[in-house]
Amino acid sequence: MAPYVTRREALGGAAAALVLASCGGGDPPPATGPRPGSGIALLGSLLALERASVAAYGACLEVLTGEARTQMEAIRKEEQAHADALEATIGHLGGTPPPGRPRAEYERTFPRLRTPEDALRFAEDLEERHVRAYLEALTEFPALELRLQAAGICTDEANHLGTVRVLQGLPAAQGPFVTGAL
Amino acid sequence: MAGRSDVELLVDLFEQELRLETAYEAALRRDAIDRSLGETLLAHERSHISALERVLAGRGNPSVPVFSGELTKALRGRRSFAEYAIWLEDKTVRAYSDSVPRIRDPKLRQPLGSIMACGGAHVVALKDSVGDPLVD
Repeated sequence: MAPYVTRREALGGAAAALVLASCGGGDPPPATGPRPGSGIALLGSLLALERASVAAYGACLEVLTGEARTQMEAIRKEEQAHADALEATIGHLGGTPPPGRPRAEYERTFPRLRTPEDALRFAEDLEERHVRAYLEALTEFPALELRLQAAGICTDEANHLGTVRVLQGLPAAQGPFVTGAL
Repeated sequence: MAGRSDVELLVDLFEQELRLETAYEAALRRDAIDRSLGETLLAHERSHISALERVLAGRGNPSVPVFSGELTKALRGRRSFAEYAIWLEDKTVRAYSDSVPRIRDPKLRQPLGSIMACGGAHVVALKDSVGDPLVD
């Protein structure tokens, strides 16, 4: 059988590549300070994901107009606020936030977004990964304060995911459990 | 909230879900919500209730929600019910956001968080149903 990849799968793969690029070994680890097991490495990964997403939304905005553009601009601002909050938390724990990357470097990992539909599908995949990352953080962060921060950001990401689904004409919630089930 | 047991936290979340179930059942009976949306949201709440019941396994002593005056007033129209439901969903999401990180059993935090995320999507669906901005 000839290999066949749908457009959606291609965009999802690109989102996965973006996540790997943002969370993998490219960003240097925080230089000094906090003890191992403080959760600072995970904070650094979440920060890298937020920064990559801010750049990704910048690319999405280039092909969006009207209501979708307005909503995506609002989401981008919230992602920037999350990045700022995570940076502050890393600093509060005695760490040094990893340096960001130039936008062009992130953009090399993005798919080509030709239409608003491409941008919204890409954004949906990104937001699904955000929700999953913060739900994992809820399990993995050792300190209650960090778990509370992760839960707060996760509710914003769930709102974003619902929004990009509605903008595509899809139901806001795919099912009763966004990822996993009891 | 420090020092509360997992069961106490779960009972509070269970009671919030019961309030949402009561609200959507009533809204569907009174035609205060689009039928398709109301049935979807109600089905989700019932799935959350079943899941929490399984985890609680008879522990705790949840109280059955009373039909509040706010709900009675909200049922007068679709706009007023949507505003009430957004408020109740938002309150529930905040309850999860504050409780789930305090759950001692780490295996429960992620699935409970997935219910929290569903509540966030419900808020978006309800805002969309009345033409409100989706992102604050």
